[in-house]
Amino acid sequence: MNRFNHLPTLKIDTTQKISFIHKRKKIYGVKGDTIATALFSNGIRIFGRSLKYHRPRGLYSLDGESSNTLMEVDGIPNVRCENTLLKEGMVIKEQNVKGSAENDILGFLDKLDWMMPAGFYYTVMHKPAKLWPIAMKQIRKAAGLGEISPEFKMPGKFDEIFLNTDVCVIGGGPAGMMAAVSAAKKGLRVILMESRPWLGGCFEFRSKEHQNRLSLHERAAQLSKEVESLKNIRVFTHASVVGTYNNNLVTGFQIGKEKDAFDERYIELRAKSVVVATGCTERPLIFDNNERPGVMQAGCALRLAKTYGQLPGKKAVFSIGHDFGLETALELHDLGLSIACIADIRDDGQDPALLKKIADKNILLLKGWVAVKAHGRKVVKQVSLSTIDGSVTRKFSCDLLVASAGMTPVTGPITVAQGKLKYDNHTGFFLPDAMPEKMHAAGRIIGLDDPLSIEASGKLAGLKAAFDCENGSIQEIGQAKKDLENLPGPVRGTKLVTAPVKGRKSFICFDEDATLKNIKQAIAKGFDVPELIKRFTATGLGPGQGGIPGHNLPLYVAKYQALPDISIKPTNVRPPLVPTLISTYAGAGHQMLKITPMDEMQRKDGGVFRNIGVWQRARYFSNDFSCKNEIENVRTNVGMLDGSTLGKFRIFGPDAVKALQRVYVSDMSKVKEGRIKYSAMCTDDGCVIDDGVVVKQGENDFYFTTSTARAGQTAEWIRYHTRYDGWNFAIVNLTDAMGVINISGPNARKVLQKVLDIDLSNEAFGFSEYKEFKIQDTVPVKAMRLGFMGELSYELHVPSSYMKSVWLMIKEAGREFNIQNFGVEAQNVLRMEKCHIILGSESEQRTNLLDVGLGFLWDRNKPEAKTVGAVALRQAEKDQTRLKLVGFKMENNTRAPRDGSLIVDTKVRGYVCTARDSFSLKEAVGMALVEAPLSKIGTRLEIFEDECGNNRIYGMVTQMPFYDPDGKRMKM
Amino acid sequence: MKDIQRVSPVVFKATPLKTEKRNNWEVVMEYSGEGEGPYLVDLSHKPRFDFQDADLAARKPFGIRIPEIYGGSALENGVLANRMNRTQVSLYCIDGQDNTVIPDEPGFTDVTESTMFVALIGKEVFSICEKLTALDFLDPQRKTPFLFQGPFSHVPCQMVTLSRDGDSSGIVLTCSRGYGRDMIHAVINAGEEFNLKPAGENRFTKWIKSL
Repeated sequence: MNRFNHLPTLKIDTTQKISFIHKRKKIYGVKGDTIATALFSNGIRIFGRSLKYHRPRGLYSLDGESSNTLMEVDGIPNVRCENTLLKEGMVIKEQNVKGSAENDILGFLDKLDWMMPAGFYYTVMHKPAKLWPIAMKQIRKAAGLGEISPEFKMPGKFDEIFLNTDVCVIGGGPAGMMAAVSAAKKGLRVILMESRPWLGGCFEFRSKEHQNRLSLHERAAQLSKEVESLKNIRVFTHASVVGTYNNNLVTGFQIGKEKDAFDERYIELRAKSVVVATGCTERPLIFDNNERPGVMQAGCALRLAKTYGQLPGKKAVFSIGHDFGLETALELHDLGLSIACIADIRDDGQDPALLKKIADKNILLLKGWVAVKAHGRKVVKQVSLSTIDGSVTRKFSCDLLVASAGMTPVTGPITVAQGKLKYDNHTGFFLPDAMPEKMHAAGRIIGLDDPLSIEASGKLAGLKAAFDCENGSIQEIGQAKKDLENLPGPVRGTKLVTAPVKGRKSFICFDEDATLKNIKQAIAKGFDVPELIKRFTATGLGPGQGGIPGHNLPLYVAKYQALPDISIKPTNVRPPLVPTLISTYAGAGHQMLKITPMDEMQRKDGGVFRNIGVWQRARYFSNDFSCKNEIENVRTNVGMLDGSTLGKFRIFGPDAVKALQRVYVSDMSKVKEGRIKYSAMCTDDGCVIDDGVVVKQGENDFYFTTSTARAGQTAEWIRYHTRYDGWNFAIVNLTDAMGVINISGPNARKVLQKVLDIDLSNEAFGFSEYKEFKIQDTVPVKAMRLGFMGELSYELHVPSSYMKSVWLMIKEAGREFNIQNFGVEAQNVLRMEKCHIILGSESEQRTNLLDVGLGFLWDRNKPEAKTVGAVALRQAEKDQTRLKLVGFKMENNTRAPRDGSLIVDTKVRGYVCTARDSFSLKEAVGMALVEAPLSKIGTRLEIFEDECGNNRIYGMVTQMPFYDPDGKRMKM
Repeated sequence: MKDIQRVSPVVFKATPLKTEKRNNWEVVMEYSGEGEGPYLVDLSHKPRFDFQDADLAARKPFGIRIPEIYGGSALENGVLANRMNRTQVSLYCIDGQDNTVIPDEPGFTDVTESTMFVALIGKEVFSICEKLTALDFLDPQRKTPFLFQGPFSHVPCQMVTLSRDGDSSGIVLTCSRGYGRDMIHAVINAGEEFNLKPAGENRFTKWIKSL
């Protein structure tokens, strides 16, 4: 096809060819083409097939409001080809076809529409019930759009951007640009978002006079220049809004240009005020075969020529209901399109100047006429027109039918922000009635059509937005309002929705193949409001997000039911207003996890890492996930563990003890210097949420640890529970400041003694004691003798930056003992053998301190402390219905059950917390929370594992701890 | 005896040209290929303190005034004081030889080890920031220097905007040390399109002296 290259409105460069593959054939478009316009220029009229009936579908609107032009592009299904720019080497495939779009084997389904009435999948093939799974599979095979493999990896670069601004203007047409300029001239920060790749909106491609011989497209260029000249306006083109929310949060996405560092990026912006100037789309005209390739909207036909340099057809019939349709006919006629006839729905009200021009060019104009049927099996070949009442019919041969019932405002950004629309009899629009706070509408969306009025409304909206930002005056707004009132107001719109047809093949929703007949069927079944009809017929539920049925559905339903205007209500619209890729929402997808200071060294030593909460931790040090060697090495020799993820805090000040007394269950006034105090924290319900140790570092100065999981909340927890007391204390989170090395095993002392200058004998540094010292007079260390693993054990808390040096020193000192790393899983087994609990493993949200056997920590004699949870614990003390933590061994030395398995008899009686095959004990052991009657030693536990059916396994409640019950090993 | 060295949570994939040994830190003064900006500078070795007191108005840590407004910052004598809330101030010793020791008076905690600390310098800094946070660094209502406490690349951070003046624009940022690896990755990735490069401490010193 020869392309125009002389029009000032063109956005293509015909000198730059772009090759791409379509149906395995290399063809060419030009720079600036969308995929759809490039295909169209190659004579391709059928882009794909429809969802249900496999009807041929083609170019209709150029703004991607329907699924007509969804295609597979470079392996990505459902790409909106109308607004996706063509790139070199793209591979385009048709989708939802068996064979080809031209010759689809499933095309016969179109004749079986009688078998598929509205909601047929809710009502048929369900009896007998066995039939439905079979039918469902066949339906799914035949219907649906693109396909994607689960292994598909999305190519491209996705990003995100978070913006703040004073005024956000949605829509880069004349009203939007005027709004942006007037707000920006007040010195405000303005963001302008436009879904097309350029500014200009409805002016940008039209030659109609603006004023003083200036054309609309020249005026668009003028405004665009002015916008670009203002530094405080940031323009985002090819950027669609997908949602607007409370407090003027606006979300959207932008498609990258060639030079951009992203292919698509998610936009999230906060504005003090929002102007919605999204303009109008055309309201589709409904008649028989109204979606046949060759039928297209006026804007589509005109933009194909003026923006993309190609005539939409050779011979056309127009069936329109607005002056823009007449203007389009004239412009295309001047560009060489032969026009067989213009059928104008309106009997009167046309612009006399346009009528004169039509008459001057001898174009046949039929007033009060409308298209009733497009003929042609695959593409339009002939059109039947009739009078509005259907009394007279005429046929015209053509290859293009430009059809458009009227305009319809793009109100999505207003309605998703909870703005209300009201049907307006004059315009036939659903107009904004109650606008959300600090949101203003401007331009064609409020029914204006006169270019000067559109601009004036934009200026007014911009001033109102500036006023929202406390920058502007009532007087200015009043003047702008007056200026607007002196210009032409909203134009009268056409009310006609549908031609006089029965509606069997008249499509109200292209995406879901929903016809007028389907709507009637739904109403006949009692679905009397558009919201219900929408769901029953799936009208507007397709990928076009309701772009085609839009306001036609409520208008048609009202007309069909003969409802008074006042009750016409549009259906709800929800984000995303414009569909895009999930990858865009994912954005850059930075993984943000914490690592410990020993991360690198542990990886070098073969650590197998897992994400645990916010941390990445070495869980294993071999591919043997039972950790046999790691466990045995700690039991018989010496191992080292990175415990840096523990929560670590300093609390100090005159009232620090009071704060500790409040949150810990023990008497914290008894914490002695040089000794470690183990205690726990509870919720108000007495449920245990944390445990750890507390040491005294000085007068009113304490250092304490929490579990890894609680580290993030602890400071706030303490502040929250002391908020009314006015106590003077300070708390500092040192979790990341201190690394922790745990050295455990019978040889731990020997290894550590080689590194430290202090006496480590049991007498000098006994169990449960705390010391502070320096390594090589440089590295400050807080050392604790603990026994979580049930062995002789030291925990060294070292400033994080020194951790590598200390870790290497210990490793070197331990070489002669063959010291080995052990990971989180080995630690889990070692402590389980000793029946030391981990909160979260041996507890859940409802588990209290007494349930897990930690009641001994609770000091009942400090009521003045108002310890969090104490009241609830007093009540729970006598409650025999609570679960109890028990230890169990497996019967007949069978394997350990899986964590979380249920303890059952005729009912669920509890669950397994942690259980493992113990290498130290040579049998499977575990801990479980069970109902009190099952907690007696010797009780047989029936264990139900996931999907075990009737094959239960059995354990027996036994004494805890399993390993070294006297605790001699950790005190050696 | 092993040589004792302190390790920064920040690791750049760049070759140091000049380094300096300071308090067991190996401080990189200059990297090869630092480019023309924007720059990302590791300052994790710079001493930082948490200071808390019920009556902050009566205190002058390091002899400097504490900003009265929450979110306000003040740079005096090479110390950046950032008012976090009613009772808490963060203090960054950003200028000098990093030998500031913890004052012998109540309320101070050395938190140098708690966080990673970097500076982002250059005119594109805020374009990089808006890819990582919804915080409004360019809010005309706020006067530099000022403190933000909020998410940056989804991680709680303290960010102090020191300048919004063209090429001299810059912020300093701290977050939990553990996030060092992923935070640097996120910042470098966001700054790639602006040619963000790791730079040595010299760049930072020159910049801070220019403010």
